[in-house]
Order: sequence, then structure tokens, then C-alpha cells
Amino acid sequence: MTRIITIITFFIFSVITAHAQYEKGMQQALELWKNDKPTEAIAVFERIAAVDETNWLPNYYIAFINTVQSFRYMNDKVKVKVLLEEAQKAQDKMNRVALDNPEVLVMQAMIHTGWIVYDPMVNGQKLSGDVMYIYNKAYQIAPENPRVVFQKASFEIGMASYFGQDTKPMCAQLEKSLELFANFKPETPFHPTWGLDRAQEELAKCK
Amino acid sequence: MKTVLQLLVCFTSLFGFSQTQITGAVQDEFGQPIYGANIFIKGTYDGGISDEKGNFKFETTASGAQILQISFLSYETLILKITIENYQPKKYILKENVNTLDAVVVSAGTFKAGDNSKTTALKPLDIVTTAGSVGNIIGALETLPGTQTVGESGRLFVRGGESDETQTFVDGIRVAQPYGATANNLPTRSRFSPFLFDGVTFSTGGYSAEYGNALSSVLLLNTINEPVQSQTDISIMSLGVGLGNTQKWEKSSLTFNTGYINFAPYQVLVPQKIDWNKPVQAYSGESVYRRKFKNGLLKVYGALDYTTFDINQKDVNFDAKRSIAIQNKNFYLNTSYKGYLNDNLQLQTGFGFGYGQNELNLANDLLQNNERALHYKLKFRQTITNRIKLNFGGDFFHTNFDENFTPAASNRFDYGYQNNMTALFSEAEIFFSKKVAMNVGLRSSKSNLISDYTLEPRVSFAYKVAENSQFSMAYGNFNQTANQDYLKFNTHLDYEKTQHYIFNYMYNKDKRMLRAEAYYKRYADLVKYDGNLATYDSNYNNNGYGYAKGIDLFWRDNKTIKNLDYWISYSYIDSERDYKNYSKEVTPSFIANHNFSVVTKYWVDQLKSQISATYTFNSGRPYNNPNSADFMNEKTKSFNNLSLSWAYLVSQQKILFFSVTNVLNASNVFGYQYANTPDGNGQFQRQAVTQPANQFFFVGFFWTISDNKKTNNLNNL
Repeated sequence: MTRIITIITFFIFSVITAHAQYEKGMQQALELWKNDKPTEAIAVFERIAAVDETNWLPNYYIAFINTVQSFRYMNDKVKVKVLLEEAQKAQDKMNRVALDNPEVLVMQAMIHTGWIVYDPMVNGQKLSGDVMYIYNKAYQIAPENPRVVFQKASFEIGMASYFGQDTKPMCAQLEKSLELFANFKPETPFHPTWGLDRAQEELAKCK
Repeated sequence: MKTVLQLLVCFTSLFGFSQTQITGAVQDEFGQPIYGANIFIKGTYDGGISDEKGNFKFETTASGAQILQISFLSYETLILKITIENYQPKKYILKENVNTLDAVVVSAGTFKAGDNSKTTALKPLDIVTTAGSVGNIIGALETLPGTQTVGESGRLFVRGGESDETQTFVDGIRVAQPYGATANNLPTRSRFSPFLFDGVTFSTGGYSAEYGNALSSVLLLNTINEPVQSQTDISIMSLGVGLGNTQKWEKSSLTFNTGYINFAPYQVLVPQKIDWNKPVQAYSGESVYRRKFKNGLLKVYGALDYTTFDINQKDVNFDAKRSIAIQNKNFYLNTSYKGYLNDNLQLQTGFGFGYGQNELNLANDLLQNNERALHYKLKFRQTITNRIKLNFGGDFFHTNFDENFTPAASNRFDYGYQNNMTALFSEAEIFFSKKVAMNVGLRSSKSNLISDYTLEPRVSFAYKVAENSQFSMAYGNFNQTANQDYLKFNTHLDYEKTQHYIFNYMYNKDKRMLRAEAYYKRYADLVKYDGNLATYDSNYNNNGYGYAKGIDLFWRDNKTIKNLDYWISYSYIDSERDYKNYSKEVTPSFIANHNFSVVTKYWVDQLKSQISATYTFNSGRPYNNPNSADFMNEKTKSFNNLSLSWAYLVSQQKILFFSVTNVLNASNVFGYQYANTPDGNGQFQRQAVTQPANQFFFVGFFWTISDNKKTNNLNNL
């Protein structure tokens, strides 16, 4: 009996410790990212990703940080390529374990958008269809996810304004996304919550 | 007490009283420190980052055998087994990842129009939007250096080679009948719609051991892996109508395209030099099915095509025009699978079957033929290390050609041949560093018609001299069984042979590309025959020979002027051969020494239009004048063609397209046909071989209907 108790205790302890370590790691990595230390943040996320390959969150942040960085360095074509390729590598790992997760879908669309900005002449024509397909799919799965609604509307605004079409319906969607952001409850503290400030900025352009 | 002790042991193992310090340094291959590399014990949260001097230091609670992982952007990840207790500080060397986009690429002889391909010269879209190509893949390729514009043929002629010296492959599988049906001196078109492909590789020489039975060139077309969405495409053109539908599901997709072409209304509007009894009518249908598996992709492509026409052609040997009527039926099926057997082994296999049937009524004579061609291929690609990859596999080709000829009021002749060919190939791709790469391959094939095996070594080498420029070299031996026109009468003909030597320089920077290539090609064992025409009673042998040498230049720029994309091609070629019924080694009639073309595409934002212009110039082509004592000693006038096109994006889903070829209305002459016998004055009369009509007008309206109204129909321009 004591043996069984010991084993159970041991098991519970190791789970708790592992979880505590995971939380510590995620917190540390997000902190580094917040303090504008992308390389360090990615290094920690990579370690976390290597511990549990079924958890898509660390790879999500690797893809996210690389994509955000690529927009920052858009003038350095070589660097952008490397960053977007790194983002896609992390994305591929996520796609394997959580293909239909709306957050994962939004991330894929963002990487594609990065490639479109990188070379609009070539990739715009090739990837904009894909991006719309992905946003539509994400919207079907999670019409109440603020990032899905905001990112989809934001991409549609870009397309519509080019063709001189009415952007009112998309602006209404942006408006709706603000509400969704306000009510959004992430599954865990480490699930994505970003986007409110950018949605507000986009909406300001509508008016 | 016992329990407490056990718990204590547990805590010890979990939190570890003993922390071990792991230190070391990370460098690149040249001894330079790497800053920012991620070093950690896999499966734990313990790790660190290398500093400016490449040094790292971290503590771990792990013990025993562990895996140390060191990774850094665009370098190969290092994975090492260590035992924590015995760990000694070390210097680690990271190798540059040769699979990154800025690595050297073996490029001699090759033009790629692919996705993220490093040697991309043309993008898939370019094929359709090149003015003058009228949606014909071959038309766009003729604006690349190394090709000849042979207006009366419409086929691809590459670097002094005949058109049948180029083999076409779809998803790695040979296409035996790549061109549509045509008659004497009327240009043909590629059977394939450019919309089907997202990758085109055009090799003008020195290509991989994977491809064979082609003396000059291979054209590799890769069909789209995954359509973007379900949609319906409607096209209404001045020449006919087309309807397409794509259905996309989670793992698979199905595309149907049907088309009907009828030249009759066009001929009423634009008078032709050709006297048609029944204008061209073509019915075609094609279908592609794709299915994704866990580790691979299956594609099945099938196409049916039925073409008829009936014309009266002037022939210098006869007073009255001669009628030619053609009926062509063609079927092509291509099934291919590409997938990974494990992380390092890729399998590619496929099966292609082509059936072509022709019925030609030439005045009162009847010619019928049919060809059945089959190709089976199996290829493996083994990744040995990140820097060495081995391709190996085999091909089986089967061709069965039967023809019969029934002259007016006479008996029928039957003839034909069967060619079964087996080939094995193996090729290694080796990267010595990010700057130096090499491919070494060998191909061997055996045809049942010929007793010998071929041995065809292929070597290519590339060296990157600076960030944006590189040199490549290629050498190869190539064999091909004799042309169908001869084999059908005589099956005792040996392989025709050539050797390629290629030297290439490429500069590629930020949407500007310069490509210069010099080559030398030696031909041996070309087929010769006697008499005016190759017929059943000609004497055939393999005593022909020849050479081709030249320089190809290509410049593309879509940076200097905003919204303008242009490319310039120039080729100089010097080539002579003694083949067919030639009396000596001369430049054959399909070769112009100088070929020049400029393609421009300008996007006008305010008009939502792309305006394109293509100008082509070829110097005169040789022809033989039997009235002169010298063989093939005269040349035609030079060839000029300016084509314009305008694509207007009506809305995201609707495009209006106009195009005109030969805007300047140049009367181009491709050559002359001389009478077989002299007239009363001892002179051979002649007639010029010209364009079917000086100009060609095309108007089309393309409409895509999809659930997703935002689709950008620019794809289809």
C-alpha cells in the first residue's frame, strides 16, 4: 500500500513539477519577448517545444515572433526570407498537431501575408487566394475568435480598397472584433491574446 | 520511515541537489564565433545562448545520458549525445545550411519557372502574359535564349537541334505527343494549357541523368499540387469557348476543363492566306484528380482531344491546289505519386500512356497512323546527409507505331515499328559548402532495336564567387533513338548521339538577373538517307554528324522602373550538320545565326491593366536553291515580329484580354519550297513558306466564379 501511495505521490509530484517548469519557461519566454529580446525568447520557446511536441503553443510563438520580426525588417530581403522560413518551419510542426485550431490557421495566414508583402508581384497573385481560404476556414470554426475576425477583416480591407470597393462591411467586422477582444478568455494564460491595439489602429483608419 | 526515505529520493531526483554547469563555445566553419545560438539539453528547460564571443554557460539538473542540441538560424542543427557527469567544455562548429535560398545552385543549361526556385527566369504567370504567346507554353519559351523561332513549325528548336530532340515530361512522365495536329508548314501548338502548371523547368542542355532519349533539351512541366479553392471558370474567346470546374475537398480535388474551338467565325472576319474547306475544329477535355496522403501526393491527369480540318494548299509541283484533310484523336493519361517512405527516402513513381491517331487525306491518297506510347518510371531520392543526396531509379518506355499508306487507286502499304527501351539512372547531388556544389550522374539505356547499351555520364559543377554571382559548368553525353519518320521505314538505325559542354555565369540580385551561357555541342551518328524524301525505299545509315556552338544572354529586370517588368534575350549560334539527304555539312534551314527578343509587361494601376509587348528579331535562315550550284547557300530576309496584348481586370473575377501579333504587318518568309523538277526553261520554280496570316487577333473574356468572391483573377491573365 505504501508503495502505491509512494508511486502516486511521485507521479503527482513529477507532473506538478513539470507543469511548474513549463509555466516558468513560458512566462520567462513571454517576458523576454515583451522586453524586445526576440532571439532569447525564441531560444526558450524552442526548448519548451522540444520537451512536448504535442503542445502547439511554443511553436506558435516561434512562428509569431519570426513573422512579426520579418515585418520589421522588410527592407532586408535576405533576412526576411530566413525569418519567414523559420516561421513556416514552426508552423509546419503546429500544423501536424493542431491543423484546425483557429489560432494556428490565423498564424499560417499571417506567414503567407508576410510573403505577399515580401514580393507582391509574385506572391500576391499566388497566395492571396490561399490566405482568404484559410481565414474563411478559421471563421467557420471560430466566428467568435477576435483574431480571426480582425485579421480576416483587415486582409479583406486591403484587397477591397485596391479594387475601389466598399470597405464598410469589413469595418463593421473590425468593430465587432473589438467587442470580441473585450470578452475573450484565453484557455490558459499562455494562449494568444494579442491584437486589440492593432485592431483599434485599423479601425481608426476606417473613419 | 521507509516511505519518507523513498519520498526524499524522489525529491532528489526531481529537483536535483547536484547542478552541473555546461559550458562551451560555438563557431562557424571559418572559426568565427556565432552569437545567439541556442544551446540546450533536449527534453529539459535547461539551456543558454551563446554570447558575442560564441561562449555559452548554463546549469542543468539533468544527469546521465542526454542530448545536447545547438541550433542557429540558417545553420545545420547540431545534435550530440553527452553524459552530464563526464561533460567537458568544448568548441562546437556549426555548418552553414546548404538548403537555404542563398546557397549555390547547379544552374548550367537550365531555366526554371518555379515557385521559390533560385534559378527562376520565368514565373508560371509569365507564360500566359507574354504578348504573342497566345497562351501557348512554347510561344513564351521562344522568348528565352537558346531557342529558335521556327514560324512554320511552332515546335521547340533548341541550340541547333531538331524539334524532336526535345522531350516533354509532365510530373516526371514523358509525353509522347506534346503537340497538336497540323499539316505541312502550318504551325502547331502545345497541347497543354499553361493554367495547369505551377512549375516549368526548361533545360537547354546538360540536364540530369534522370532524363534521357533527348538529344538537345527537356521541358519539365509540373501540375499544380493543390488548387486554392472550388471554382468555375468560363472563357469566351474569339476562337471558341471553354468551361472549367474545380472541386476541392479536405484531402483531394478534382478539376474538369472542356473546350471547343472553331476558327470559322474568325476566318470570316480576318482573311487568311489559307484556303479552308473546313476550318479547324477541336473538342478537348481534360481532368485532374489529386489526393493527399499522410506522406505523399497522388495525381491523375487525363486528356482527350479531337481535331479536324480540311484545307487546300498550293504546292509548287502542281498547278491546282491540293487538298489536305486531317482528323486527329489523342488521349493522354498520366498518373504519378510522390511521397516519403521515411524521413530520408523519397519515392516518385508514375505511369503515362499516350494514344494518337491520325487520318490524313492528301488529295486522293490516304495516310493513317496510330501511336501507342507508354512510360513507367520509378525513382528514389535518398538523403544521405544534409549535403549529399542520391537519386536513382529506372524508366521503361514502350512505343508502338503503325502506319499505312494507300495511294489513289493502288494497294495499301503497311509499316511501323515497336521500340521498347529500358533505362537505369543514378545521380548524386553533393554540396561541398554553401559555395560549391556538384552533380555526378550516369544513365544507361537499352532499346530492343539496337544491340548496344548506352553509357551516358552527366556532370555539373557550380561555384558561387560572390554574394550574387556564380559560375556553373556542365558536361553530358546524350543518346536518342532515330526519328519516327525514319524508324517506321527502317528499324536498323543506331542511336543518334551528342555531347554537351556548357559554361554558365549567373548574376541574381533583387529582381535583376543576368545569365550568360556559352556552349559547344557535338553531334554524331545522325541519320542520313538518299533521295528527295525519306521513304520506304530510301537507303538509311547513321553516318551523319554535326556541331553547334554559341552564346546565350538573358537579362531580366523588374526593379529599375516601377511596375515595368522586362527581359531581353540574345542568342548567337553557329551550327552545321551533314544529315538527312544533305550533300555536305551546312547550316540547316531551321537555324538563324542571331536571335533577339524583348518582352515587356507594364502594369497600369489606374487602368487596372497589364499592357505587354514582345518584339522578336531573327536573322535570315538558309535555304537551298537548286538553281544554284552551291548547296544551301542562300538566306531568307530577316524575321521581325512585334506583338501587343492588353489585359484588363474588369473586377476581381473578370478579365478582358486583347492581343494582336505582328502589329507592324511584316511579311515574314520562313523559307522556300522548290519544285522537284525544273520547268521548260530548266529553272526550278519556287514558292515562299510564309505565315498563315500576317496578323493574329485574339479577344477573350475570362470569368471565375467561386464561393469566395475575393479571388484575384489576375492568376489567370
